[in-house]
Amino acid sequence: MRRNKRSSSAFHSSEIGKLIDQCCKSADFVTFQLKDSPFFISYFQTLVDKKVLHRDILTILKDKQFISLEDMKHAIQVEDLVLTTELSSVKQKLMQGNIIIYQQEAQPSCLLIPAFLQENRQVSIPETEYSVVGPKEAFVESLDTNINLVRKRIPVPEFQIKEFSVGKLSKTRVAVAYIEGIADEENVNTVIQRITDIGYDQIIDSSFINQMIADNKNSPFPQLVDTERPDRVASVLMEGKVAILVDGSPSAITGPATLGEFFSAFEDYVTVWNIASAFRLIRFLAITFSVLSTPLYVAVLTYHYEMIPQDLLTTLISSRAGIPFPPLLEAIILEWTIELLREAGARLPTKVGQTIGIVGGIVIGTAAVQAGLTSNVLLIVVALSALASFTTPVYQVSNAIRLIRFPFLIFAQLLGLLGVAACTAIVVAHLLKLKSLGRPFLEPVYPIRLKDMKDALIRLPFNQQTSRPLQTRTDNKIKFRPHSSPPDKRDIDE
Amino acid sequence: MLPLPSEDKKVSPYLAFYIINSMQIGIVVLSFERFLVKEAGQDAWISVLIAGVATHIILWMTFQITIKGENDIAVIHKDLFGKWIGGLLTLLLITYLMTLFIMIMRAYIDVIQVWMFPHLQTWYMAFVLAILVYLYFTGGFRVMVGLCVLSFMLTIPLLMLKAFPLKSAHLSYLLPVMEHSPAEILSGAKKMSVIFSGFEVVLFCYPFFKQGIRAHKWAQLGAAFTTSVYLAAVLVSLLYFSEGQLEKTLWPTLTLWKIVDFPFLERFEYAGIAIWLFVMLPNLCLYIWAVTRGLKQLFSIKQKKSILFLLLLAIIASSFITDGVQIRNFSATIDRISFFILFAYIPFIYLYQWIWQKVRKNK
Repeated sequence: MRRNKRSSSAFHSSEIGKLIDQCCKSADFVTFQLKDSPFFISYFQTLVDKKVLHRDILTILKDKQFISLEDMKHAIQVEDLVLTTELSSVKQKLMQGNIIIYQQEAQPSCLLIPAFLQENRQVSIPETEYSVVGPKEAFVESLDTNINLVRKRIPVPEFQIKEFSVGKLSKTRVAVAYIEGIADEENVNTVIQRITDIGYDQIIDSSFINQMIADNKNSPFPQLVDTERPDRVASVLMEGKVAILVDGSPSAITGPATLGEFFSAFEDYVTVWNIASAFRLIRFLAITFSVLSTPLYVAVLTYHYEMIPQDLLTTLISSRAGIPFPPLLEAIILEWTIELLREAGARLPTKVGQTIGIVGGIVIGTAAVQAGLTSNVLLIVVALSALASFTTPVYQVSNAIRLIRFPFLIFAQLLGLLGVAACTAIVVAHLLKLKSLGRPFLEPVYPIRLKDMKDALIRLPFNQQTSRPLQTRTDNKIKFRPHSSPPDKRDIDE
Repeated sequence: MLPLPSEDKKVSPYLAFYIINSMQIGIVVLSFERFLVKEAGQDAWISVLIAGVATHIILWMTFQITIKGENDIAVIHKDLFGKWIGGLLTLLLITYLMTLFIMIMRAYIDVIQVWMFPHLQTWYMAFVLAILVYLYFTGGFRVMVGLCVLSFMLTIPLLMLKAFPLKSAHLSYLLPVMEHSPAEILSGAKKMSVIFSGFEVVLFCYPFFKQGIRAHKWAQLGAAFTTSVYLAAVLVSLLYFSEGQLEKTLWPTLTLWKIVDFPFLERFEYAGIAIWLFVMLPNLCLYIWAVTRGLKQLFSIKQKKSILFLLLLAIIASSFITDGVQIRNFSATIDRISFFILFAYIPFIYLYQWIWQKVRKNK
């Protein structure tokens, strides 16, 4: 008995003992001694799957008497058992939902039994990147499920995952996925380097990583694609890009990205190429319209009304007659109102949000025009440009599109059309300087790469898509070799 | 002498097309017909062609100089003439480029003041332009070349507007062909050859091409494209205006834009002048870039610092030029210097370098 007490006090002064003592302060930590044996069991009851504990561990421990932990390790039928004396791995595993079994002695060795309780949301339909046709799976908050969703689409051994633990406190599992031999090693190394350089204490979502590893951290434009679609991730991985998945986040990051990629929806690949190309062009036009229409309205009505043909001018004047504000103020008030409605709609619960949409759209809009605060024409322009900004398939970029409209408005007021051109020049300068993982962001427009045009502004048919994008710098450029069928020499009606 | 630029700062040879093209097309496109018609009348288009051919030859010489010297003109000067005389030549050359920068900046502001905002302060607009130039400049040479490419894509649609005046074109305005004497046509070509200047920048940016020799082919293509743009511009103006009208029109292209009318848009020149910003920016950026490179080669001043000083200088200098007459006098002087540089200085350096290398080989 005395010997036991001595060893017990020696245990409490050992490092693992101190760790156990520290954990004991927490209410959800459980420690108990097995009946008639020197072994102790400790675990966080909130992290541990009780089924595993009762079914696979306690029943076995009750039935037999064990002399050593080594014996116990052979008897327990759970995968990944570890017997160690190392403090760091004990600490880490304990926090990841392992059960530890140990003896209270001076140099305790611990048996670590994984019994992590997984609370998972079901894989459901993508909400921000919804598509009418095509696969309808979206990532969930569990890293393992997410990797499973991607891996089942790429069943080759070259598909590899490198896992890191990021965040001093959150210890978030971050996985870098790529296909060996297709992805450029430099890209993979850049991503890994930047992820391991992160010194922030908490990584709650993949967007944290996205912001921290971005090439230009102050740019309103996202430089890596943020997607919740496993099919999209699998597809870009096969093009030679790199994906980052973060535990606890329902979206993945892929890169290197180009500006064009933010305007391509996965649906573009599901529909026929000519229709897909047309829609993609519509999207580009919509974005241009969204950014430029209100500033042009302000510029033209403030300085260059000579530019409007007479018939159109009559319409404009009659709609603007009696409005007390200059065009700039009118435009800013309306743009602000739309942003306000969007922000309110996003924060409110779904059902209330719909009501707000109706109240905002119809009631405020109509009332503002009838009260003579804004013109009909501007209301149409602003509403259309707000609508147009939502055509971007990647959510993050639509925010950037809507925000850069405000500097454009101010420039339009300062210098008219020249101001709009000047502001465009500023945005172009910014885009030209941007890089994604060190690769040019405006590719294939600059540097001009005609081969990559096949899937940029338009999407050519699949039999034309024979090579992987040059932008990824992949060594394995050929996607496939199309069958060359002999030309059909028969005449019509032959 | 600076080390040659590292591989990641260099650009592909095909981009020479865009560099040459966007450097040659500048503010003068809006106004060049007038000088030309004064000399060669309806045969002005022949002058353009002659000047175009001359440009190809001078461009060839420019590339030969840099290909043989395997570096930019500052180093070549130093090799050929020694530290002091070579340095002086470089200094003169960059002074010329800086004056060009100020001139085209002021000329563009003048167009804005005449056509869009009569009360716009010169220093204010110069300040805005300086900021834009600075933004591109800080991105480095690659970003400025990107601007050349994008400005090419943005401004090429403007050429299609030439179709509008063609509706009321008179073919008879071009006749009789070759009515003017060869001397008159040549003096028109002399006026025109100055307008093709801008490719002197190659003297400074040659080390930035990945394969300089291959860039030469693309540069020649770029020059050919410029010639066709000028040819189209002069032909349309000749077909639309009578000779007397054209001599009195300061900016024929802008006047022609007035004719453009869409159901939703009239008076296109407002939009045109705004879009012209993208024609001006590559000009401004690369000229001032060449100046800062020259200063760095000569005095090892950091580009980051010299740009600020030069832009400030440009703002101050351009606000001292107050009216159109001064601008035209100023630009006439510059034209003379340009002509000298293109047709006397570049051939001289070419020949001198040729002889110098022969002599050195024999030693």
